[in-house]
Amino acid sequence: MTGSAPASGSGLARDLRLLGRAVAYEFQKVTAFRTGFIVQELLRGIERPVVLLFLFHAVYQVGGRDEVGGYSYADTVHYLLLIAFFEKLVFHDRGLDLSLQIFEGYVTKYLVMPMRYFVLPLGRWVQFVALQVVVVPCLWGIGALALSGWWPLPVSGLAVLEALCLILLGSYCHLLLYFILHSLAFWLDVVWSLLVMARFVTLFIGGAVLPVAMMPERVIDVLRWLFPYWTLAAPVELFLGHQGHADFGRGVLVLGASAIGLEIVRQLLWRAGIRRYSGSGM
Amino acid sequence: MSEPATIRCENVQKVFRTYRRQKGFAGILRNLFRRETVEVTALADIDLAIEPGELVGLIGPNGAGKTTLVKALVGILPVTGGRATLFGRDSFHLAERHKRRLSLVMGQRSQLWWDLPPIDSFRLLREIYQVDRDVFERRVKEYAERLDVSDRLAIQLRHLSLGQRMKMEIIGAFLHDPEIVFLDEPTIGLDLVSSETIRTFLVELNQGGNGRAANGATIVLTSHDMEDIEETCKRLVILDAGRLLFDGDLMDLQRRIVGKRSVEVHLDPSSAEAAQAGSPLERELAAFGAELVQRAPLTLTFIVPAERTQAFIRRLFELVEIRDLTVERQPLEQLIKEIFQGREVVTA
Repeated sequence: MTGSAPASGSGLARDLRLLGRAVAYEFQKVTAFRTGFIVQELLRGIERPVVLLFLFHAVYQVGGRDEVGGYSYADTVHYLLLIAFFEKLVFHDRGLDLSLQIFEGYVTKYLVMPMRYFVLPLGRWVQFVALQVVVVPCLWGIGALALSGWWPLPVSGLAVLEALCLILLGSYCHLLLYFILHSLAFWLDVVWSLLVMARFVTLFIGGAVLPVAMMPERVIDVLRWLFPYWTLAAPVELFLGHQGHADFGRGVLVLGASAIGLEIVRQLLWRAGIRRYSGSGM
Repeated sequence: MSEPATIRCENVQKVFRTYRRQKGFAGILRNLFRRETVEVTALADIDLAIEPGELVGLIGPNGAGKTTLVKALVGILPVTGGRATLFGRDSFHLAERHKRRLSLVMGQRSQLWWDLPPIDSFRLLREIYQVDRDVFERRVKEYAERLDVSDRLAIQLRHLSLGQRMKMEIIGAFLHDPEIVFLDEPTIGLDLVSSETIRTFLVELNQGGNGRAANGATIVLTSHDMEDIEETCKRLVILDAGRLLFDGDLMDLQRRIVGKRSVEVHLDPSSAEAAQAGSPLERELAAFGAELVQRAPLTLTFIVPAERTQAFIRRLFELVEIRDLTVERQPLEQLIKEIFQGREVVTA
């Protein structure tokens, strides 16, 4: 017996085929239950902007001001609406179950297989993005038809493409960030708390809690060096024409550098984690 | 030419570092700032060599180090001393081409995807192991038929029974025709029929029953079920407290150490007194080297040296009225118990 000869191709070809298969199965999983699909894929992420609409309404009324940080209430509503849509494309903290797999020992099986484990989370991300790239325009289109004249429209087609490019790059950075946090399960048992904290911080930096333009200048300068800002706040401003091509270029640079940095950390942590992993639960 | 499918342990040691919790509220506070490290030896000086085509049973009580040894051999755990190798390579640094020749089945942890039907999991495994499509289809069909689960391939794994799930796990483990397969408690919790089917399947694949002319798979089977070991393995490795207690031929062990018979005697009620504790019967029979191991109101079980069994039974008939009597070879469980009690390293 000599074992199976590989059917064909290199490690990269195998990873691509495996990625394709993983994406197909992730689709199979998310569409297996109708209620789960509606709640997790369609409704997820709309609750916070709705609450914020009421909160900002109160802020503008109590303050008796027409504008805060250059934003009227109508601008703020548009901003929050776009944030809600764009956020649906950003990979989230509950997107992976890696820490659970580490705690319960299910990750063990992959360690004896001739594969790169990261292909599977990547498959989940591709499925997530592919689905939301369809869901988001559909929901946005329904809103535009129902509330035409008031609904926020893009300043140009190019602005939409630039915004989408930043969001997808940022979404990938979020995948890497959450993978890194999940990998801490090799050392810590407080991963879920860290994930919740990270989620809040990234949303804040991304301007999903408060429009970044309402923050002090110095804070804005700092946030513009961080990838969550370019994942949400900047795409909204590009979409509305508040930022231009030069900002887009800077966003691509920040997101690209972040992705490289996060990838290095991800690989280092994964290898270190595997070295100290005892295959618990076997 | 690829390296032979050999498994080697040379003076393998594995020491885990853990922390000792201090007692009481003050201890809890102290734990926050200063923790006491404790070293636990899980494996000590293990020397082992398993050649291609062997089917080896690995047994031992809980905490003996069986699973740790398997983890070290498949490359999940790095050893802290000595050397563990597979295919002649350090097992913690196996290349992908070596991993392709290996498989692991964990009875307590599913290898397959819980939310998918087994056939979809198998297709994922096909991509991972790069198995040719025709070969894949043929193996799935053949193995599913042999394990009697052909009609369950398209049902979500979570909806299958434990036995069906384990059969699927085993199909998944053999789909890429691995040369070395580690099975950790594959029959745990299964009914007799499922266990038997799995054992037969394993023996067939070990003997090259995968439709190929070459050698069968090398199998290392960890189990608490002695029947698994007795019915499948020629060679037995016993671990206790991280040390190798026995490594050798199972039959030889039974011949050399067992050499004993279990005699169960069902007494006539007229001889009930003889079954009571302190009766002269036990003393009388002790002369034959017999040891009373179990006593019920009208049933006694003795362990007797094989060569003196006939004389023992003759004397027994002289001493008491017997309704029924069965003679069996000593169960493996008892043998293992004896070895553990002796705490001696036995090598074949």
